[in-house]
Amino acid sequence: MLIAGVDIGNSTTEVCIAQVKGEQRIEFLSSASRMTTGTKGTVENVAGIRAALEDAMLILHLPVSALQVIRINEATPVIGATAMETISETIITESSMIGHDPSTPAGFGQAAGTLLSIENLKEGKAATPYIVTATEEYTYEEIAGLLNQAEEKIDVVGLILQADEAVLVWNRLNKKIPVVDEVRYLKAIPENKRAAIEVAMAGQSIRMLSNPYGIATLFHLSGEETKQVTPIAKSLIGKRSAVIVQTPHGKVKETILPAGELYIRSDRIHTVPIDAGAEKIMEVMRSAGEIHDISGQEDTNIGRMLSQIKSGMGTLTGETNDMIEIKDILAVDTFASVPVSGALAGETCMEKAVGIAAMVKTRQLPMQRIAQELQNQLGVSVQVAGVEAVMATLGALTTPGTMLPIAILDLGGGSTDAAILDEAGKVTYIHQAGAGELVSMLIQTELGLKSRTTAELIKRHPLAKVESLFHMRLENGAMRFLNEPMEPKYFGSVILLQPEGFIKIEEDLPMEKIALVRREAKRKVFVTNTIRALSAIAKDNNLRNLSNIVLVGGSAEDYEIPEMLMEEFANYKIVCGRGNIRASEGPRNAVATGLVLSFLEEGIHRTAGGISADR
Amino acid sequence: MQIDQKTMEQIISLVLKQIAGQTGGLADATAKNDNMSEHTFCEGYLPAKKSTNPKEVVIGVGPAFQSKIQHTINGLNLSEVLKNIKAGIEEEDMIPRVIKIQKTSDLCFMALEGAKLSGSGIGIGVQSKGTAVIHQKDLYPLSNLELFPQAPLMTLELYRAIGKNAAKYAKGEKVTPIMGKNDPMVRAKYQVKAALMHIKETEQINPDLPYIEWR
Repeated sequence: MLIAGVDIGNSTTEVCIAQVKGEQRIEFLSSASRMTTGTKGTVENVAGIRAALEDAMLILHLPVSALQVIRINEATPVIGATAMETISETIITESSMIGHDPSTPAGFGQAAGTLLSIENLKEGKAATPYIVTATEEYTYEEIAGLLNQAEEKIDVVGLILQADEAVLVWNRLNKKIPVVDEVRYLKAIPENKRAAIEVAMAGQSIRMLSNPYGIATLFHLSGEETKQVTPIAKSLIGKRSAVIVQTPHGKVKETILPAGELYIRSDRIHTVPIDAGAEKIMEVMRSAGEIHDISGQEDTNIGRMLSQIKSGMGTLTGETNDMIEIKDILAVDTFASVPVSGALAGETCMEKAVGIAAMVKTRQLPMQRIAQELQNQLGVSVQVAGVEAVMATLGALTTPGTMLPIAILDLGGGSTDAAILDEAGKVTYIHQAGAGELVSMLIQTELGLKSRTTAELIKRHPLAKVESLFHMRLENGAMRFLNEPMEPKYFGSVILLQPEGFIKIEEDLPMEKIALVRREAKRKVFVTNTIRALSAIAKDNNLRNLSNIVLVGGSAEDYEIPEMLMEEFANYKIVCGRGNIRASEGPRNAVATGLVLSFLEEGIHRTAGGISADR
Repeated sequence: MQIDQKTMEQIISLVLKQIAGQTGGLADATAKNDNMSEHTFCEGYLPAKKSTNPKEVVIGVGPAFQSKIQHTINGLNLSEVLKNIKAGIEEEDMIPRVIKIQKTSDLCFMALEGAKLSGSGIGIGVQSKGTAVIHQKDLYPLSNLELFPQAPLMTLELYRAIGKNAAKYAKGEKVTPIMGKNDPMVRAKYQVKAALMHIKETEQINPDLPYIEWR
C-alpha cells in the first residue's frame, strides 16, 4: 500500500511517499516540498499540501488518489515573533561636537583654535590660532582664495566646511591644514569658542579626539573636566574626522531610556527591567524554573509587542488572549544605529538595544480541520499522527551514522526545537524562542538596513565585492573570474552570491562588516539557544551525556550555522552535524519521513481508524 | 649671437603669425571659425593618448563642445558644466582629463572612447546639448554605468555629482546611483531644439581627426 507523510512547517510543506511492504518493510519512493500556503495550522494549508502531494506522485506517474493513507503531523502549536528595543540614547545639549564620516575630508592631523567664520576673517588677530568655518554660499575657489590672502596676517589651523568640497579647497591652499566637510548644520556652530578638529589619515580613524586624554591635551582640561568629556570621546570612536566645540555648558550625555519591564511568571512573578540587558534577562529566565507566562509592562514597547503576539495567535486559533501563554523568550544584546539628537552633521551613534524573540504556546492548532478538509478534497483517508518532535527524531535516525541516544536540533525560522530519543525509546523535547527570524532582525538593526528582506538575503548567501566587470573578491579572500562581463549595475558593489544570480546590496557597507555582523548574529542566536535547549533536556542537564546531535530544519541548510555548532559541540566531544535524512534528503523531510516510519509501529490494522474513511 | 630689439620683434611677430594660423579658429571660435577648414581644427592641440594613471577619469566631450556650441539645451554654460564635473572628480581625490571626441556625436561611443583612453577605464561622455553618461571601457557601447538622458533637467549640481560618482567607480568604491529626474513633458517641449543641437554637433564630425586633449 502507498502512504504519504506530510509535514506542514512555518515556511515549507514537505511530503514523502512510501510503499509499505508487509509488517516491517517500507520503501521510500519519492518526496517533494512546496511553500506553505497560509499560516501554519490553518485550513489554507490544504492547497500547499495538495500541490506537494501532486509533485511527489507525478514522479511515480500515479494520481494522488492512488494513496491509501496520508499522515499529517500534529504541528507544534508554537509561533515566534521578534522585536527590538533601544535602551540608550545620546543627546548633545548645545552644539558641542561633530563626529562623522564624510567620505572625503582632506589633510590630516589635529589642531585646536578659536572658531571664526570666513565672513569675519579680517577681524582675526595675529598670533591666535583659528579654526575657520565656511558655509556653502562660498565656492571652493573663494574659500581657498580668502585663506591664502589672509595667510600672512592670521594663523588658520583648521577649516570646517558645509559643502562637500574639502579636497577641492585643500588642493588650492598654500598652507595645508586639516579640513572637515559636509557639516550640515554649520550655522549652529557658535563663533569665538574654542574648538578642536581632527582628520585621520586615509584608512585610519581618529586617535586624538576619540581619547579623553587627547581632548584634555588640546583643551587643557582638569581631571574632573576630562571625566565629563568621556562620552564625547566614546561617541567619536571609529570616525574619520571630528570637531569638538568647547561650550561652557555643553554636554553630551548618554541617557538610559525607560524601556519597560518584563514580568516572568513561574511559581512567583519575577520582574526584570529590559534595560538590564540580555544577560540579566536570560539569567532570570534560567533561575525562574518552569515558566507559565511572560508579559510586559503596559504602554511600553515590550508590553505592546508581547500582547500583539498573543492576539495574533488568538486570531489564528480562535482562543482568547488570556488562554495563550508566552512560554519562552530569548533576549540578545545588540546595537542599533540611531541618529544623535542635537547633532550637527546628521551623525548617528550605535546605541545599546535588546532584541527579543518570544514564543507562544496555545492549546492546540486546528489540525483536525485541515485533515478533514484534505480528506474531503482528495477522497483519501487522512490521519493526524504523532508529535512533531518525535516524528523529527524518528526521521533523523535515518541519517547514516547515527545511533541511540540521539538528539535532534530543529533549527527553524521562529523557534529552535530540541528532542532527545534515548535507548528506551523515550522522547523528551523542548521548544524555544529565537531562531532564523531573530537573526534577520539583528542583521537588519546592526547594519541599519531599510528592509528585512535584505537582511534575510544577507543571512542566506555569502558575499562578494565586484572589483571589475570581470572579477570579484569573495568574502574568504578568493578571487573569482567571469567569462562574460557582469551587468554594469553591480560594478563596485557588494553583492550576494545566490545560486540563481547576484543580488546587489544598496546600502554603503563594507563587505567585511556585513560578514562580521552576520556571523555574530548567527552565533548569538543559534549557539546560545541550542546549548540552552539541549542543557534543558539532556540527562542531568549535562551536555556531556549526549553523543549524537543531528541538525534538521530550514536553518540547518545554512552554509555556516552547522559548522558553528559543530565547532561548539566538538568541545563536549559530541558528534554533531547536518542531518542527511534517508541518506538522500539532507536536513529536510525529517518529519515527513518520521510520519511514514511511525505508521509501521502503530500497525496497519489501525488504518481504518483515524478519521474514518467514508468512501 | 647678438639679438637686438628689432630681431626680437621680428621673431615674435613671426611666431605670433604662425600661432594665429594654427589656432585662430579656436582662440575666438565665433569670429573666425566659419572660414576655417574643419581639418585644421585640431591643430595646436595635443593628440590624446591612452593614459596609465589609475587615478584618472576622462571626460569625453562632443565635436561641437565649446566650439560651435557654448550652452547646453537649458542654457548652462559649458565651461561651468566642465568645471563642475572636474570639481566632482577632484573632490574624490582623482584626476580629471578632458578629451574631445571628433569622430562621433553619439553619446555612448563618445563616453566609451573616453573610457578606453582613461587610465582608470572610467569615462564620462557629455554631448554639447548636455546629455551625459558614465561609461567603463569593458562595457558594450550601448551599455553604461549611469545614464542621464534628459538634458533639459540637468543642473550644475548634477554634473558635480556625476563627476563624483565617476571618480568613485574609478576607485572601485560602492556607488549610490544619482537619483534620476524624469519629466514626461520634456520630450515634447525640447524635441525640436534637441534635434537641431544634435544636428549641429553631428555636422562637426570628422572621422579623420584624432582625439585631442581639450583645455
